[in-house]
Amino acid sequence: MQTKPIGAAALLIPATGLVLVFMGLPLIYLFRYSLNQYVPGEFIVDGFTLENYRIFFSEAYYLTGMWTTLLMAGAVTILCITLGLPIANWIARQSGTLKTILLMAVILPLFISNAVRAAGWMVAFGQAGVLNYVLLQLGLISEPLQIMQTPIAVFIGMTAVNLPYVVLTLQSIFEGLDENIDFAAASLGAQPLQSFFLVRLPQVVPGILAASMLSFILAMNAYATPVLLGGPSFRMMAPMVVVEIMNKANWPLGAALAFILLATTVAISILAALFIRRRY
Amino acid sequence: MANIAISGLNKTYGSFRAVDFIDLNVQEGEFVIVLGPSGCGKTTTLRMLAGFIEPDGGQVILGGRDITYEPPYRRNIGLVFQNYALFPHLTIFENVAFGLRRRGVNHSEITPRVKDALSLVDLSHLTDRLPRQLSGGQQQRVAIARAIAIRPDVLLLDEPLSNLDAKLRLQVRDELRSLQKRLGITTIMVTHDQDEAMSVGDRLVLMRSGRIEQIGSPDDLYNRPANRFVADFIGRTNFLRGRIEKDQAFHSEGGIVLTSASQPPGATEAMIRPEAIRVRSVPEQSGPNAISGTIHGHVFLGGLIELAIDMPGGERITGVISPRELEEAGVKLIPNAPVYISVAPKDVVLL
Repeated sequence: MQTKPIGAAALLIPATGLVLVFMGLPLIYLFRYSLNQYVPGEFIVDGFTLENYRIFFSEAYYLTGMWTTLLMAGAVTILCITLGLPIANWIARQSGTLKTILLMAVILPLFISNAVRAAGWMVAFGQAGVLNYVLLQLGLISEPLQIMQTPIAVFIGMTAVNLPYVVLTLQSIFEGLDENIDFAAASLGAQPLQSFFLVRLPQVVPGILAASMLSFILAMNAYATPVLLGGPSFRMMAPMVVVEIMNKANWPLGAALAFILLATTVAISILAALFIRRRY
Repeated sequence: MANIAISGLNKTYGSFRAVDFIDLNVQEGEFVIVLGPSGCGKTTTLRMLAGFIEPDGGQVILGGRDITYEPPYRRNIGLVFQNYALFPHLTIFENVAFGLRRRGVNHSEITPRVKDALSLVDLSHLTDRLPRQLSGGQQQRVAIARAIAIRPDVLLLDEPLSNLDAKLRLQVRDELRSLQKRLGITTIMVTHDQDEAMSVGDRLVLMRSGRIEQIGSPDDLYNRPANRFVADFIGRTNFLRGRIEKDQAFHSEGGIVLTSASQPPGATEAMIRPEAIRVRSVPEQSGPNAISGTIHGHVFLGGLIELAIDMPGGERITGVISPRELEEAGVKLIPNAPVYISVAPKDVVLL
């Protein structure tokens, strides 16, 4: 006798309930807030207006913030994939203790909070920081470089945050590749580099897209790194949402920004997923 | 096409001797099967020939060229794997063209050479498909076409039929055999399947624990095994423990007396193939090796019957006999019924 599959579905009810209560409802609440009117000095003024969305699309301050966010997320993702591919490929080909050590080296940074890691970069990049000290000592520069409080610092910091996720995703995919296919390529005359580009890389394209999506979503919603390394004049979406809600007490606009960020991220993810499904 | 001379090839992993100083010469155009149980070193040997495992010592000479430490991509050896190992993202055409492109074959020559290779395996009509759109048998034929398209000096086959179902396995096996003869390409195939080995190989190399136990034709290994391991590994066999007495006959521990065509000194076992057993319902008047026993049981093997016969001394001998022969001999398949068997002296192999 086989019980109906409803039994298995029933097991999902508690988890689904939790998601609905603690994620779905707040989102609906937030969406409702984004339609409210903003009256300075008053906390909640019920209303039904698209004014907050109009503000986003008409003011350069917000549009630039979104543009910066998209550019940064795209650039970080491209660098993460470029660095992640050879690292993941290399780790996947190791074995034994070396592999364990390498994997630990990738995983351990994830144990440290983003804010703490950003603080580390501040020490490294500051005017009197480690990097400037070394470069000055080597005579490569004559005065300290301004790295902190620039987009470059955010770029490096966020790449460091996302790289472990990308490497782990790609490594598991390289791990699953059939060794005999590499052997076949070699026997047919492909040198190691040719083999990587002509045989290994094409097989992991779906994995590259998955890792890109992961990195892109993480970067789109990054908060600690841009705030700590970018300084006050560098604006990305997540910090801007916080500024609206916490500093300006403008919940309706903050909610609208949050929704726009969410919608953009989801839309890009869905497009990428469709692309993966169509091609592979 | 070329001959291969392997000498003193060895490989050790820690304290495990995967390949223990083997010597093997394969003639040009020969089809040699390396077989043995898993862990016998056959796959390690093949991978050293292909260049994927660096040997600890020894030499591999391919057509007069020392390739022992050549990287695989410079060896010009064609490889076929158990799991096909086709490039999943490339079409059948591009899979076969891959080796030609790596060799910088002239652009105008690639298409005809790919078509030639695919027509050898009857797949010229599927050039635009992807590997996953093909059946297992078709994929393996593409893999064969891909390996021969580069006109390799040697073809190495690693359990190429093991992933195919029984019927397809026979078909691809025969195709492989005839293709190999037609092209005259030196071929080494690794397998654990002795039926496969016997049916396609010119010569068989039986390995155990990194060593070669016997090299010879299928007939040699089956009928003149060098030792008990070979006799046991190749085909089904009856073994009787005992020794050669002063009368030059072999006396088993159960008291069976057997004369054999040859009496190697110090033999401790007699080997008799099941199909060498003749049965009678009445005692044979004369002739050597006539023994009486009782029927223990039988199993139908399709066209043949496997008969287990208990000997008076407690030993059991298995014979494989056709139903017609049983009928002509008047033997009834009743448990404990008396039965008389005989074996020609040439079929008694003392080890």
